[in-house]
Amino acid sequence: MAKLRMKKIELIAMLTDSKKIIELLQRRGVVEISQNTDEELENTNVTAVVGEFEKFRSTAAQALEIIDTHAPEKASIADMFSGKTEVEKHDFGREAMQMEKVMGAANDIIRNQKLINESAAAVSQLEIKCDMLDRWLPLDVPLNFRGTATTSAFIGTLPYQISAEELEAQLPDMCSVEVISGSKEQTNLFILCSKENYEEAESILRKLTFVTISETDNKTPSELYDLHKQEIEKLEEKSEEAKANIEKLAENRKQLQFVIDYLQMRKEKYDALSGLGFTETTFVLTGYIPEKYAESLKKEIEAKYTASITFTDPGDDEDVPVLLENSRFSAPVEGITKMYALPAKGDVDPTPVMSFFYYLFFGMMLSDAGYGLLMVIGTTIALKKFKLETSMKKTLTMFRNCGISTVFWGALFGSWFGDIVQVVSREFFGKEIGSIALWFEPLTDPVKLLLVSFGLGILHLFLGVAVAFKMTWDTGKKLDAVFDALPIYLIVLGVAPIGAGMFISVPPVLTKTGAYMLIAGVIMLVLTAGRTSKSVFGKFFGGLYALYNTATGYLGDILSYSRLLALGLATGSIASVINLIGTMPENKVIKLILLVIVFVVGHVANLAINLLGAYVHTDRLQFVELFSKFYTGGGREFAPLAVNTKYIKFKEENSND
Amino acid sequence: MTNGLVLAIIGAALAALLAGIGSAKGVSLVGEAAAGVVSVDPSKFSKVLLLELLPGTQGLYGLIAAMFILLRTGVLGSGAEALTLQQGLGFLAASLPIAVVGLISGIMQGRTAAAGVSITAKKPDHNGKAIIMAAMVETYAILALLISVLMILNIAV
Repeated sequence: MAKLRMKKIELIAMLTDSKKIIELLQRRGVVEISQNTDEELENTNVTAVVGEFEKFRSTAAQALEIIDTHAPEKASIADMFSGKTEVEKHDFGREAMQMEKVMGAANDIIRNQKLINESAAAVSQLEIKCDMLDRWLPLDVPLNFRGTATTSAFIGTLPYQISAEELEAQLPDMCSVEVISGSKEQTNLFILCSKENYEEAESILRKLTFVTISETDNKTPSELYDLHKQEIEKLEEKSEEAKANIEKLAENRKQLQFVIDYLQMRKEKYDALSGLGFTETTFVLTGYIPEKYAESLKKEIEAKYTASITFTDPGDDEDVPVLLENSRFSAPVEGITKMYALPAKGDVDPTPVMSFFYYLFFGMMLSDAGYGLLMVIGTTIALKKFKLETSMKKTLTMFRNCGISTVFWGALFGSWFGDIVQVVSREFFGKEIGSIALWFEPLTDPVKLLLVSFGLGILHLFLGVAVAFKMTWDTGKKLDAVFDALPIYLIVLGVAPIGAGMFISVPPVLTKTGAYMLIAGVIMLVLTAGRTSKSVFGKFFGGLYALYNTATGYLGDILSYSRLLALGLATGSIASVINLIGTMPENKVIKLILLVIVFVVGHVANLAINLLGAYVHTDRLQFVELFSKFYTGGGREFAPLAVNTKYIKFKEENSND
Repeated sequence: MTNGLVLAIIGAALAALLAGIGSAKGVSLVGEAAAGVVSVDPSKFSKVLLLELLPGTQGLYGLIAAMFILLRTGVLGSGAEALTLQQGLGFLAASLPIAVVGLISGIMQGRTAAAGVSITAKKPDHNGKAIIMAAMVETYAILALLISVLMILNIAV
């Protein structure tokens, strides 16, 4: 299946039906609408309407965000996975009817939030003032007091510590100094002088860097302080009230979500309208549709409306979007393909090519049956219990399949949470069990597993070469296909027994056959790889260059599969270390308690880090080693006009799911 | 305790030490970059956390190599072997690939992942590509671990 065949759709219908037809297409979600390019048809300008929708939508979204900060929805893990609320289609219509009321609530929420922000700002201003007044509280005259008929007063600060006596000594007679408050950094002072000494005292004080306090209010500091405090209280009350209002308005959460989705849908609908071409009474829609949905859509539209629909094959130079469809086994890995790049025009879909090896390699790298079981159980529960989005479902299914493969490899290697079975029976029952591996333990014979890794790697690479072979073959260049693939098979297969001979004993028959295959492959490669070059020299050196490239490239590629062994060893040995730490104490009771704690914490951490490792390095083996053999990528994802809602989902059958 | 055993323990220490330093440095490099992204958009936390974890594996590889040395030489478990000078030097040499490559690749992977954080910041959908780029660096740490472990397992004791 792989890449779905796309058809070009051209739909001509009555203008009066345009909105209804677009709505239908949106619900079906199978048509990607292209911009009308026919200059004889009119385009419609929807910018104003779309802008309006966007304005309302952002208001509603802002209100929703405010609700979420003040009255957050209690979110459990189940909710995180629970996906969208399902609504009937007619429910959605009724919800939409209440839009004015909901938008009113949204504006209320935003206004209350503004109130909260404003009073918070005012409160912080007042608090700064109170902090300042705090230092002047003992003073029982207003801060703007400048003296009586016969006296002059100075109220202000000196930027250092000084006592009343010290300052009085420096001032003229008839001055009295009162220290209101003080610290190391400053002294707050009230100085009273007789009128005739005013100027002299002022000049002395100026030299001492005295700063007069500037305050216009003729209330005493404590009066002012109380006033400010009262005001703060009032503001806080107001703010609390606003908060309570918002919390009350939070009951509109669902409606707000509906409105947001509704407006988003309307906006997209109008965006779609702008892509159409119009005459006075009809409209023309062009776009792409996957072939398998074409006929049913045509029937449905033509039954309900006066419309003419034609399907044509897209031309070679057209930018046809890509939609993948795969078997139940391969589809979960589609996300990995998307992460790299969607197939371009000439590409095959690599998903079915890599899916088997993806699961296989993932399991081999994690390679612990206990961890695999945890993955399988966890993902199965999540898949059963929660209503999930399609992409999430695929990802979880992928991890479930990887988990099954992990159990398989773990059982072969006898690793169940490391060596917990052996450890428990030895430490608590005094019985040595030995290996429970169905095949062998990697630690006892790492070289064997290394060779197995290389072997699987060679199969993986050969698969890639085979796909490239088929692709070239299908384009009609059969000879090229053979010359590209065969030498590689011969060389790699020929070298393999010789390479393996460095580690284990290989029957001489194999090495001998290998040598012949190698020679045949090399000759073929040198003779044919430079065939595109024009001169004889070019052909020859092109061949040599290809030989060098093949040798180094494939050597590097194959060695790269050693990570299958290395990551497997890493998981197993860290797991064993965890079990070892848990059983260190001599006393059996303490040992048991410690083992339980260390087991849970340690294995969770080890699973997490090795899950990441296995995922990343499986991806790498696919992207770098496999894809480089046949895959370019760079296709554009099929983006149909659809119901792209965030919170709700229609109960109606959506044929794109 | 023989001189050989001391050398083997030094080897185990080096593996854990240098690879651990490499990881610490690498993870902190990514963490600094990630904090900037999270300060703007806290919802990207889980994505940048994945990137931050990547250079952390070198430290684990160092730990594995160290553990293997301690197990092979009997320091952990069965009772310490009386290693000859040559055997001790063998273990010391075996620890070097993961120790040195772990140190350097940890830092380098940290730099690659830190650069990848900006991909996550600007194009969150392409986070996977940043992860793959950083994972490329790790290949060499894996190769070093492999060769260290193979040597440790095959030194005759």
